[in-house]
Amino acid sequence: MDHPPQPATILELRGIGKQYRSKGRARQGGGQTVVALNNVTLDFRAGEIFGLVGESGSGKTTCGRLIVGLEKADQGELLLEGRSYGTLKGESLREYRRQVQIIFQDPYQSLNPQLSILDSVAEPLVTNRVGDNKERLEKVLTTLKAVGLSPPEDYAFRFPHQLSGGQRQRVAIARAMILGPKVLVADEPTSMLDASYSAQIFDILLEVRQRLATTIILITHSLAAARYLCDRIAVIYRGNLMETGPADAVISDPRHPYTQALIDATPKFGDCGPIKRYGTLVSPERPASGSAGCAFFRRCGLAHLGRCARQAPELTPLTLGHLVACHYASQTPVPETGQACRLGGM
Amino acid sequence: MALLEVENLSIGYRTKKGVLQAVDNVSFSVEAGRSLGLVGESGCGKTTIGMALMGLLPRNGRVTAGTMRLMGRDMLGLSREQWRELRWKEIAMIFQAAMNALNPVQRVDQQIAEAILTHNPGLSRGEAHSQVEGLYQLVGLPLERLRDYPHQYSGGMKQRAIIAMALACNPKIIVADEPTTALDVIVQDQILQETKALQKEFNIGIIFISHDISIVAEVCHHIAIMYAGQMVETGTTDEVFRDAKHPYTRALLGSFPALGGERRPLRPIPGEPPLLVGQLMGCRFCDRCPVHGKACKLEPPQRRRFSDTHFALCDHCD
Repeated sequence: MDHPPQPATILELRGIGKQYRSKGRARQGGGQTVVALNNVTLDFRAGEIFGLVGESGSGKTTCGRLIVGLEKADQGELLLEGRSYGTLKGESLREYRRQVQIIFQDPYQSLNPQLSILDSVAEPLVTNRVGDNKERLEKVLTTLKAVGLSPPEDYAFRFPHQLSGGQRQRVAIARAMILGPKVLVADEPTSMLDASYSAQIFDILLEVRQRLATTIILITHSLAAARYLCDRIAVIYRGNLMETGPADAVISDPRHPYTQALIDATPKFGDCGPIKRYGTLVSPERPASGSAGCAFFRRCGLAHLGRCARQAPELTPLTLGHLVACHYASQTPVPETGQACRLGGM
Repeated sequence: MALLEVENLSIGYRTKKGVLQAVDNVSFSVEAGRSLGLVGESGCGKTTIGMALMGLLPRNGRVTAGTMRLMGRDMLGLSREQWRELRWKEIAMIFQAAMNALNPVQRVDQQIAEAILTHNPGLSRGEAHSQVEGLYQLVGLPLERLRDYPHQYSGGMKQRAIIAMALACNPKIIVADEPTTALDVIVQDQILQETKALQKEFNIGIIFISHDISIVAEVCHHIAIMYAGQMVETGTTDEVFRDAKHPYTRALLGSFPALGGERRPLRPIPGEPPLLVGQLMGCRFCDRCPVHGKACKLEPPQRRRFSDTHFALCDHCD
């Protein structure tokens, strides 16, 4: 399986499944099982930026939380450098947590308002009993500088409310990076920020990867951001992997109807080149087919009532490293002049 | 004549630290059936303008200079009663965070019917409800969901209900403040296309407030870029995107990743916008500007004209 030029796999998801039970009384729709992730198999290579792309509710955040150990998978296995997360205990579990860090979506909520920036960023060092006070201070200052908060002395003694959103997110990155983790999960790190700040955060992530060879798993809803940052991406829909492959290949030549619908819907501006519409989304949704069929069946314009309704497609390789879960992906490319899903009858 | 004309509008907020100049000398106009995009980062004054147009500025906010005219009629001298008649009937707003704009303990159709009845006291309840049904069909909501409560709707459905409500009294102008920010791309795209279609159908003028330049590029005819309370560049969408003049506009365009074309490095804008309290001298973008000259810090920049529609507030753009 291994191709020599590819870097080693650092983290692996094998057949991960996760279900939640909805809250509330049964009559009001409670007590139902919601599938957050369904048989997800992915590998992350050392030093790459991998994008998990999907809409809200697709399971991409659940996937990120599973990777850092904030959730437990119901099925499947999670391996860091070949060691299964489920077997870790005590010191080796702590080691795993040091190696896999996360930054959250909302920098207004992820920092303790009562701790100074210094205390916040130094907290992982204190918890893990690294160094003495002087060494910690030094380490905090160099890390703050590395995320673009310089001179660091100006920021270390401030409190979160004295910083802008972009600066807070940098503090969150510093805090996640201070233990030198091998894997960093970034959960929508810029969705709460203005454009000029998000570009700064993107560049910091790129720099972190370049300097420390950290593997970054970027969770995002934006294909444009994924295209800019990521080496490879995976598109998730309702807990199912739809398409995965090199970012350029997936975005310039999407083969799954859902990926195509996402690209149709993304606002285009600037020098996008010729824009083609795939028009693979049907509206309104068609009735459900039961649980056996393809997850995208209800909204898919290409779906075949017999096959797609009854049998969920497997993720199959199309070209090297480009995998698609669609019965029709290997056939000739989708006609470009398909009926576009436009409401309002224009 | 333009539907809405705003000239030299300035708005200030009283704060503990002094008067905050949220909007400074802003002029624009909106024609029937056209849309204007107000683009800028948070704190640039775009929502303040929207609130002023609705007569809904908070207590500490005040229009300090300028005029706002709706179909030739001065809006600033209106009494509270007159505002109440104007609002929703002539000018309606789609608020930011549609999720929270609906009353959670009232059925959605009731809320919309109430808005209709308030402004058309002559109508009967039944007539108002049949109008609500018409609105539901217009915005693509299923009729069997009329009697639902807001929490039973998805985000996109709530947004559609809010749009239905804004359309309820046939306004001439709609102010849409970040109408799709909390929505997924596919739903966002549907709502944007729908808004465009409705605008065409009813010849409505739309002011589209957003921080996302790519959305505005998709739906607006004209664009006004705001920075620190000032309108730094205005023009047709084509002019602003193809031939941006102001350094801030260029920087903003350069900091957005695109979906296609060449994969170019993003250029983040260094620094932070200025605080708007107290006397501000010179150009407000000066500290973050890559091309600023010596005089920029001291002299306020002049408004330069590039075409009948294209203006920029900068001394160093060519």
